[in-house]
Amino acid sequence: MEEAFLGIDTGSVSTKGVIIDTRGAIMARSYLWTEGNPGDAARRVVEDLAGQIDRNAVSVVAVGTTGSARRLVGAMLDATVVKNEITAHAVGTTHLHPDVRTILEIGGQDSKIICVEDGVAVDYAMNTLCAAGTGSFLSSQAHRLGVEVEEFGEIALTSKKPANIAARCTVFAESDLVHKIQVGYPREDIIAGLCKAVATNYLNNVGKGKKIVAPVVFQGGVSKNVGVVKSFEDALGMEVLVDPDGHLMGAYGAALLAADAPDAVRKPFAFDVNDFEFRTREVVCQKCANHCEIICVYKDDELIDSWGNRCDKGAIRPKAKA
Amino acid sequence: MFDSIRGKTPGNQIADASQVIRRQKGDMAERVALHAEAPVKTNAKAPAAAMDKPVQPIESRRLGKDEPLTLRAATFLGDALDTLDRRRTETAPFARISMPDAGEKQTGPWALVPKRKRPKRNRHSRKKVAFLRYGYYDIVFKFFVEHVLDADFVALPEPTRKTIEMGSAASNDFVCAPFKHILGDYMEALELGADVLVQFTGPCRLGYYGELQESILRDAGYEFEMLNFATVTGKSLQDYISLCKKKVNPDLSLTQGVANMLAAFKMIESLDAYNDLFLRLAGHETEAGSFERARKTYFADMRAASCRHDIDEAQKRGIAALEQLPVSIPADPVRVGIVGEYFTAVDAASNLDLERKFLDMGVELYRMMNLTNRNLRYNEPNLRRSVSEYVNFDMGPTSTMTIAAAKNYAEQGFDGIVHLKSSGCTPEIDCMPVLQRISRDYRIPILFLSYDSQTSDTGLDTRIEAFYDMIAMRKAR
Repeated sequence: MEEAFLGIDTGSVSTKGVIIDTRGAIMARSYLWTEGNPGDAARRVVEDLAGQIDRNAVSVVAVGTTGSARRLVGAMLDATVVKNEITAHAVGTTHLHPDVRTILEIGGQDSKIICVEDGVAVDYAMNTLCAAGTGSFLSSQAHRLGVEVEEFGEIALTSKKPANIAARCTVFAESDLVHKIQVGYPREDIIAGLCKAVATNYLNNVGKGKKIVAPVVFQGGVSKNVGVVKSFEDALGMEVLVDPDGHLMGAYGAALLAADAPDAVRKPFAFDVNDFEFRTREVVCQKCANHCEIICVYKDDELIDSWGNRCDKGAIRPKAKA
Repeated sequence: MFDSIRGKTPGNQIADASQVIRRQKGDMAERVALHAEAPVKTNAKAPAAAMDKPVQPIESRRLGKDEPLTLRAATFLGDALDTLDRRRTETAPFARISMPDAGEKQTGPWALVPKRKRPKRNRHSRKKVAFLRYGYYDIVFKFFVEHVLDADFVALPEPTRKTIEMGSAASNDFVCAPFKHILGDYMEALELGADVLVQFTGPCRLGYYGELQESILRDAGYEFEMLNFATVTGKSLQDYISLCKKKVNPDLSLTQGVANMLAAFKMIESLDAYNDLFLRLAGHETEAGSFERARKTYFADMRAASCRHDIDEAQKRGIAALEQLPVSIPADPVRVGIVGEYFTAVDAASNLDLERKFLDMGVELYRMMNLTNRNLRYNEPNLRRSVSEYVNFDMGPTSTMTIAAAKNYAEQGFDGIVHLKSSGCTPEIDCMPVLQRISRDYRIPILFLSYDSQTSDTGLDTRIEAFYDMIAMRKAR
């Protein structure tokens, strides 16, 4: 039986999953909308992946989870590795592109830049308090313009003269956009302007002070937008590489990290998430005046994990397995 | 007393109490005169029509030229006193004046005031003084209040989410996070019965915060005194002393106060020295929680200190106990330096206990920013000389220290630097381009973190974890 590793990246907008073999080649891939329900999204992704492989020939021996819902999904899938998305992206990308020097990443709610030297991340930055210039901004504007966000890039490329849209702040960008629509700018110019604004905003905020050195890899959901890719190439004056699996890089990195885990901590995965019901419950701890909100995760009626407590007093531990 | 006046002036039926109170002094002076030249009809000149009215205006009792001189003089004196008094307060009752019993010997108006029973120094009620929360410095604040100001200290419990919620609700949204934390602290202190709140002067906008917070709290209906050292910043020691005397304790002993102030400085240095050692070693503990327990014991020990000697002894015990704890230090440990803003970099409640998160990952921590280095031993021009290739002038309250510390850590070959500031802290934002240059020059990663009043640390955990992974992987290469 061939050993394989599962990686799941549950983001705010989409959930990604891959199964890789021991050499790091992707055997199965899945990309679905999270739709505000990370637990269910992870379940659907697992189901999708299970259908793509021969369950009799391949056995998943370790699971890695990443993304903003990594902890919850990790508890559900009994993951070997639960890792933050920055590390997962760095690991995944440097594995596929060993010579990469700069990784640009724009996701649904966050954007980050990772600087790499000799195949190892040496510096990173992540957007802080606001989600301006990320995927969710583009999709809300697509909705306003009555286009599917997937078509955005193609439409942007047809523009000869992109409109100038202020993108420092989403609220300003939106009023600027509405204004430009109302005065009669062609739609493709506005869309191209939006793509350009996303790139400029990224380079001015997240990329500020970072030295961007070629080769540059661009990934995350927004990397599928050719308009933004072109804007980055124009702004940086260098080629920007987009991997066809670029949107899966977090999941891929998580799977690689799971594969790197020592044999002793590996936990085989039986694709049985559908057999259980997972519930979460919020408990307000009364042990001190801080009243931490503790999230308890139940698999059927058994408590499997909990988090959210500031101190040890509020720790709720699953019963030790007999 | 009123009865006696009424008895002697039957024409004036004084019904209105306030009028009685206003007129007391005049009546009294009148009575002094009456003692001398009785009997006199005070309303002799009043018009007949006025007799029908029960309450007479004051003018009706003015004495004419044909009255005896002594009586006129006495009345004049009484009116003058009355005017003076009314100028001082229009309606307040004359609490100090009491009338002698009939037949008692009088020697003059001053004799009406009885001798003070209690000397002035005993008339002061002990004040309850509260500070803001600031890391572990509450121990020094307690010492300062009890042994320098000689007042009661209001000890605040650990801050909770409610603290910052209350503070944010009462502050402007754009003000920096320390303001919100401090305001929340003050509200809790006032709920605990504090009479006096202390705000020290800040090196930045913090210097204006005391005044603003005072007026916000007064608008919210709290009653208290504010010992705001920002009002005497740059003035002489005498001004500091008189401010403390005025606001907290008029009987403040100067000799004791000065001696104990020096002890308080020593205490700050001791606490900071202990913390430096703690941050360096706690990441390498072999028994989970042993360092935290030792620190708790040390803090309790220090909190009980009442003089310089106690402080030195507690320090010796604390350091010895910390050094005895078992540690396993790897050959090349991951070392991270913490730099940043005065409040956020130091106060664990403000930075969501960032230090604990790093220590749990087994990181050795260093932080130059503390009261010892920033206040007691701060020599800005000297420090700036060490970073002269980056800075030419003092950029702000902690800017030079932030940059100098970062460069120092970079030169020592640290694995990373974390820069902490509250969101919108202008001086520290100014430091960031310089830090980015240091990062490039010395090839050292810097994590920039900005805090507002958030209480969820999920995003922070992601960033810290990623930062640690990055520097650890880089080191492993």
